[in-house]
Formats: sequence, C-alpha cells, structure tokens
Amino acid sequence: MVMRPTLLNSCARAATAAEARFRVDVPIGGQRATRVVALDDGASAVVRQVAQQKWGGARFYTYEPRPRSVAVDAELADIVLRSTDGSEARLSEELDGADAMVMIATADDGAEAASAIGNACTLRSIMTAGLILGEGRAAGAAVSALRPHARVLMRSKDEHDVTDVLKALRA
Amino acid sequence: MLAPETNELLTRTGPGTPMGELFRQYWIPALLAEELAENESPPVRVKLLSERLIAFRDADGRYGLIDEFCAHRGVSLWFGRNEGAGLRCAYHGWKYDVTGQCVEVPSEPEDSRFCSKVKLTSYPLVKVGDILWTYMGDPAKRPDLPEFEFTQVPPEQTYTSKRWQESNWLQALEGGIDSSHVSWLHSAGLKNDPLFKGAKGNDYNMADLKPFFEVVDVDGGLFIGVRRNAEEGHYYWRITPWVLPSFTMVPPRGDHPMHGHLWIPIDDENCWVFTFDYQPVRALTADELQAMKDGHGVHNENIPGTYRPVQNKDNDYLMDREAQKRGETFSGVKGIAIQDSSLQESMGPIVNRNKERLVSADSGIIKARAKLRAAAEALRDEGITPPGVDAAHHRVRSVSIVLPKEASFIESCRDAAAVSPGVRQTSV
Ligand code: FES
Ligand SMILES: [Fe+2]
Repeated sequence: MVMRPTLLNSCARAATAAEARFRVDVPIGGQRATRVVALDDGASAVVRQVAQQKWGGARFYTYEPRPRSVAVDAELADIVLRSTDGSEARLSEELDGADAMVMIATADDGAEAASAIGNACTLRSIMTAGLILGEGRAAGAAVSALRPHARVLMRSKDEHDVTDVLKALRA
Repeated sequence: MLAPETNELLTRTGPGTPMGELFRQYWIPALLAEELAENESPPVRVKLLSERLIAFRDADGRYGLIDEFCAHRGVSLWFGRNEGAGLRCAYHGWKYDVTGQCVEVPSEPEDSRFCSKVKLTSYPLVKVGDILWTYMGDPAKRPDLPEFEFTQVPPEQTYTSKRWQESNWLQALEGGIDSSHVSWLHSAGLKNDPLFKGAKGNDYNMADLKPFFEVVDVDGGLFIGVRRNAEEGHYYWRITPWVLPSFTMVPPRGDHPMHGHLWIPIDDENCWVFTFDYQPVRALTADELQAMKDGHGVHNENIPGTYRPVQNKDNDYLMDREAQKRGETFSGVKGIAIQDSSLQESMGPIVNRNKERLVSADSGIIKARAKLRAAAEALRDEGITPPGVDAAHHRVRSVSIVLPKEASFIESCRDAAAVSPGVRQTSV
C-alpha cells in the first residue's frame, strides 16, 4: 500500500521556517579532540597566536626539528613536540583519544615530521588534514611534503583560515 | 559550524545587506533568453536579490528590466501591454521604456513635461550566450560582461536550463562545491545517465570511495581537487572551479559535454539554478541535446510552461523506494539535479549552520564561506572590488585527469583549467 502524508510534517512541504521550530534542539555533545601541529617556524608563529583563543578540546603543538627528536621506536618513528605551554610532549601519547590531526606548514622543513605524524595517524585511524599557508616555492614544497600524509589539504594565502577551519570543525 | 551572525551575513542578499551588495557587483543571470524569445514578447516577472522586477523586450529588440510596479498607483506591470517602444500599464495607460523612463501619462495635457520626471528603477539586461544578464549595482562601477566559456562558444555547442529551488542560495551553492557527496548521492548516475556513463574516469570513481581532497585558493575563487587511486603510481584527479560569487563547474567525464551552474538568489528563501552544458570545440549532438532537454545529466524536467521541477516538495520529489531498493538510485529520487535539490530543500529555507558538524572533507565549503565573508566585509568596509568581477576570473574550466602521484594538480593543470578557445577539454 502506498502511504500518503497525513500531516504537513509527514511530507517534504514541512521544509519551512515555521516547521523548523519543531526541530529537535539539543546542544551538540561530544567534543572533538583535535590536535594542531605547526611543522615549521613560520607555522609556529601562527599556531602560537591561534592557541591563545578559546577552544574546546583542541591542543596545539610546535615541532622543532632537532637531530635527537626523531627516535626510531620499533618500526614507528615517534617524535617530540612542544606544547604551547612550553612543555615537551611525545606524539604517540598526544594522539591518544584524538579524532583529528591538523598540520600547519609554510615550507617543507617539517617533511619528516609530517611523515611520522601521517603514519602514526593512519595506524590509529585518525583523520589528517594539512593547511599550507603562503605562496610560492616554499608553500609548493610544503604541499608536496604533506600530500601523502594528509587526507585533506588546503592551500591558503590567508592566516585567518587556521582559525576559520578550526572553528568550523568545532575544535 | 558557522556563528549565527555569519550565517545571516552570508545568506541575506536583499538591498543594503553586505552579501546583497556583493552580488550587486557582478553581472548575474536574470532569466533565460528563451523567456523573451522575440520582440514585444509578453513581459516576465523576475525576482532577484529580493527585488521584484519585470523583464520585457520592446519592438526594436531592446531588453529592459525595471521595477515591477507602476509609479502611478502600484499596479503590476506584468498586466501591461508591450506596445512598440515600451510597456504600458493596463490600469491608466502610463507607459515606460526599457530604461524605466516614463514616456507617456495619458491623463496629462498633450505637451506636458510631467512624464519626464517619472522614472522607475531599471537595470541593464544584456544577452550573453543563452542568458539575459543584469547588473544591479552602481552604474559607475559596471564591470565588463561575463566571459564564462559556455556563453562564448557558438550556439550549437551550448545549452542552458534553469530551475527554481526552494532554498537559500548558499546551501545550493555549497552542493556545487561539496565534492564528497558525489560518490554517494549520485553514484547510480555514473552507471545509467546518458550524459555520464561510459567514461573511464567513472571506474576510478567507483573503485576508490575514500578520496583525498585538496583546496587551492586562487584570485577568482577556489579550485577543489579530489584525488583517487588510478593505475600504479598515478592518481585520478577531479577538479572543480568555483568563481565568486556563485559559479561552479563539475569535472568532465570522457567526451561528454562539460557542465556547471550559477546559483542565483531570488530572495532569501529561494534561488534560481542556471544549469549549462557545452562542448568547447564541437557541436552538441542531437542525442546529447535531447538528453538535456529530457532532464538528464545535471538538468531536470520542469512542469511545462514553468521553471518549477516536476519533482518538487509538494510531491516528495516522486520518491521511489522500489527504484532505491533495486539500486537504480541511491536516495530513491531520480536525476542528479533533483537528488541535490530534494536534500538541500529538506534542510529548510535557510539552514542553521550553527548546528552542523563539519569534517575536514568539508574544507572546500569552509574555505568558500571564508572567502565570501572576507569579500563582503572588504567591500562593505573598504570598498574593495571582490574576486570574480574581473572577467579574466571567468576563464576557467573544470578538469579530470590522471597524473603521476608526485605531481601537484594545480601546477600540472594550469593550462587545462584555463579556457583556451579551440582547445578540447581535459577529461578522462
Ligand atoms: S551525511 Fe552529509 S548531510 Fe547527512
Ligand atoms: Fe550533487
């Protein structure tokens, strides 16, 4: 038997502003745990700024390439990050419970870190995104460095995009 | 997620609103040329950016787009008579030319100058391709006419349709940018639709359902690249351009025509979707043209004599659960265009973006909103001309291409993503 709509809200005509009042309205629960890592100096400056704003579950880090920072632990490279409060943090620990990883780069200095982060996230089924700021050769190199390791890449001329993207993602 | 005040800013396009002012910097489609097919055609009611207007074509073939209502006592000029050099109000016979200038007030004495003091608001209306375009902004800042490739090729190479969508323009536009829905909502179309099927790219599409996304900021808007695995060492890329404020193109498939849309606000709760298909270097075949007229591909079937889709919210878009079960459609709704409109209208007239849960795959949408907002604010606060006004920004193409893994799509496609007259599209 073909059912015919009886009330307005049982058909597509309910897509009105008036009917929108009856949408279930509960606060959006479940914070998303986002990790934001600046892969080079240019990116670090931006991320330190952005970290000052009010965020939900987001945590912010910078990466400073140092010879000792890449320790090969079994097959998986772990790296040391610096939290925006200045403390040191191990990538493997910081990824615990994370939902999304956003890497910020302005050049390809952080290529090694991007690869370590990308692999660690793949292993843990954590979504990866990369935001490349700036134009020209350095940014182009950053794109190539990040492409294999970020499911989503955004190439932008505007630093505000870091905040915009994180806000849109409810970080 | 978008803060409520930003949602307001981006969705409201009436006079005096920041986004309304933004739209008034561009030439925008007002109606199809077929709606005023000949001199002295019946006048057509047109609502654009929340302004009610009337379009007509006088005996000399001049197009006019003027205030819908007579300056005398507010009667709709749709009831007017299209008489020689103007439109005469049916009530007391006041007559207006295509510039809105009143040229006759019959009740006044023979040589009275009174009518010269009466002028209705009017906007230019110009035919470019199959569309009549208007510019509703400051005449002093009127830009060059649009140069989108589908409007520049010979008439036998291009086809445009339009449909009414009962939602705000922005959620419609966002569908054009949102590449990640295609493998779901439109999956069946790749197999069945005469304007899609058979392309090699379709196999890559269906074989890799977890694509990677890349969004690149360019002067006129964005390029959104989606890559999937292809043969060893290669990716299949689908590249969608967006030009501000609301021009998008779908990446092509094989030798099928290229297509895209312009999403134009009627008012804050309705928009026109202008849908085009064209071939850069050859005429459309009779079969292709017929398929478009029958509503295949990205077109749709309208109720005869109207631009309202046959499948609409009054009939639940002719939902067919059996076809869904058989796998002929993913959502149960037939046709790419109405698959989109049914879902976008279901969001409500203006979706509450404060309730969304965007994911990183939505980056194209996130960036497009950011660009629209930045452009509207820069115009409002500093008078800066927005991206997409310059006709050079119109000369873009969508692309589908297989590239070596290490290649950057934007560097590799500089030529392919630009219009080169006489050069075939880059398509797999
Ligand atoms: S899955 Fe995207 S709107 Fe529901
Ligand atoms: Fe769609």
